[in-house]
Amino acid sequence: MKYVTTIGEREFLVEIIDEHHLLVNGVAYVVDFDSLSDQPVFSLLLDGQSFESYVYTSEEGLQVLLHGNLYPATVEDEREKRLRAASGGRVAEREEFHLKAPMPGLVVSIPVQEGQHVEKGDVLVILESMKMQNELKSPRPGTVARLRIKNGDSVEQRQTLLSVV
Amino acid sequence: MFNKVLIANRGEIAVRIIRACRELGMQTVAVYSEADRQALHVRYADEAYLLGSSPSRESYLRGDKIIEIAQKSEARAIHPGYGFLAERADFAEACQEAGLAFIGPKPSSIAAMGDKAVARSTVARAGVQVVPGTEGEGSLRDEDLLSLAHGIGFPLLIKATAGGGGKGMREVSNLVEMPGLLASARREAEAAFGDGNVYLEKLLEGARHIEYQILADSHGNVIHLGERECSLQRRHQKLLEESPSPFIGDDQEIRQRMGQVAVRASQAVGYTNAGTIEFLVDKDKNFYFLEMNTRLQVEHPVTEIVTGVDIVKEQIRIARGRQMRYTQADIQMKGWGIECRINAEDPYNNFLPSTGRITHSLLPTGPGVRVDTGVYPGFEISPYYDSLISKLIVWGETRAEAVLRMRRALEEYKIVGVRTNVPFHQSLMDSHRFMGGQYDTRFVEERFSMGAAEEGKSTRPEIAAIIATLVAHQQTQRAAHIIQRNERDTSNWKWISRWERMQR
Repeated sequence: MKYVTTIGEREFLVEIIDEHHLLVNGVAYVVDFDSLSDQPVFSLLLDGQSFESYVYTSEEGLQVLLHGNLYPATVEDEREKRLRAASGGRVAEREEFHLKAPMPGLVVSIPVQEGQHVEKGDVLVILESMKMQNELKSPRPGTVARLRIKNGDSVEQRQTLLSVV
Repeated sequence: MFNKVLIANRGEIAVRIIRACRELGMQTVAVYSEADRQALHVRYADEAYLLGSSPSRESYLRGDKIIEIAQKSEARAIHPGYGFLAERADFAEACQEAGLAFIGPKPSSIAAMGDKAVARSTVARAGVQVVPGTEGEGSLRDEDLLSLAHGIGFPLLIKATAGGGGKGMREVSNLVEMPGLLASARREAEAAFGDGNVYLEKLLEGARHIEYQILADSHGNVIHLGERECSLQRRHQKLLEESPSPFIGDDQEIRQRMGQVAVRASQAVGYTNAGTIEFLVDKDKNFYFLEMNTRLQVEHPVTEIVTGVDIVKEQIRIARGRQMRYTQADIQMKGWGIECRINAEDPYNNFLPSTGRITHSLLPTGPGVRVDTGVYPGFEISPYYDSLISKLIVWGETRAEAVLRMRRALEEYKIVGVRTNVPFHQSLMDSHRFMGGQYDTRFVEERFSMGAAEEGKSTRPEIAAIIATLVAHQQTQRAAHIIQRNERDTSNWKWISRWERMQR
């Protein structure tokens, strides 16, 4: 199986030959790979060198935490890669943004109104959780739409609070 | 004299206090909220009673219920820990009236020091230098604060009079933004302490936050256990503490002078039990009284690890009316202690709190390592309380050894299920400025980033790529052939390759 794996700006061509052998950009390695006690903690033995890492699955792809560094990673097989190339790349910047609660909490303030224009970095909602007030900011400029909450609401994790279009 | 102690707290500090009681042969009574039924302090205590539903206001802040439980369970003393009711004079007084020993200072000292504005004027009268601000003005309304702001000058800080832990604190750089910040500071203070009063203080730039641990018994003995350096903060929340302070270093003269001032400030309010005098120290080693924390501090272990004094046991001894076991001459600081606060916060996402179930946890151990925690695998981190999940403390013969040991311990520490700030501490340990002890209270916010490129830290993107690919490969294979767990005895990899051979 051949994969194209992107770490930040760099692409790696990883070919999995069998359980214990793979090629990275054409260089062969002997590997042993196992998850530890069914947790997202993985042990990799690569030509005898031992690495341990956490791997988180998120909407944008995988996040690999290794030696105190976090590496956002996307892994595509060749078919996916070709499909994406055909569709003309990413459109994330233009897409609507749906603000989701990053954790359960209490809405203490909504400094914006529906229809209001916001800049990137403007505070959209202040959410209190773990006794801290957390400012949730807009990742892009746009107009506030579909405000689904009011002051004093308790919200669940990943509940959609509002959109920026 | 009491032999049974009720611990009016939760989390790691409740566990810490239970441990001290156990070692002294005392019975322990835990109290808990609905969210904490399975918490470690409930499991470790001899007795445990439900306080109420999960929000603090209906559980850990219910002083009346806590006193009722103490009487019912015949605990003759209450240890408040830190936060919650620890610095509430009315609660300490209610304990006394109910005939319970409060393991902490007298209600009058809490009142004098607990109201930060009153505290500043009290110690100023005793000849201790304070940071300029609205000391001695009492509780002020917004209009008064706005008019006083000019005299103090910007930048300044709004602080909660009942405050601590950075809650209800705001930094103000001009008059225009001040009304909004006052409102949010009051709101946060009201939520955290049940008291929305605030005061103003000049913001000293490039300052260090250095504090002295005090112990005072009811026989008139007051000693200090040396300093703690607490300058590594983010949004006024301490993240890492060390003792001694690298800034004071070998300067025994200033160490003693500050210690004496700390003792004098405690005496100004007739202080007993454990307390902490916080100072701001500028570049020229001028120091100003900031506030006194009339309780056990989160960071007390770094002092314990370098002085060998068990502060919680000493607190209990003092509350029983005994003399301290130490005089000032007995206190020697040996080696170096560092504490990292491990919070359920995502350092890669603006330090947002992370909640969820801890599915796996592997604690660092080995020489010179101590972990104070209240969580374990299977425990749910709820949004109701603060995000501290454990404290990792190391001792080294020198600061360099302590830093290297902390680095080793952080690498060993595995917590899965919630995001933690362990990677933040790891980056900090690699930072040249931290290694050199060159940091002030602005360091984390202004001169520190999680980016690996900074300071040429080595990265292994190719290893990350291999791991990510293997994980994605496993996921794809699993999705294609959902099989029941435990149906096979070999590893997934063996199974997959066999399956692949079969398909050929």
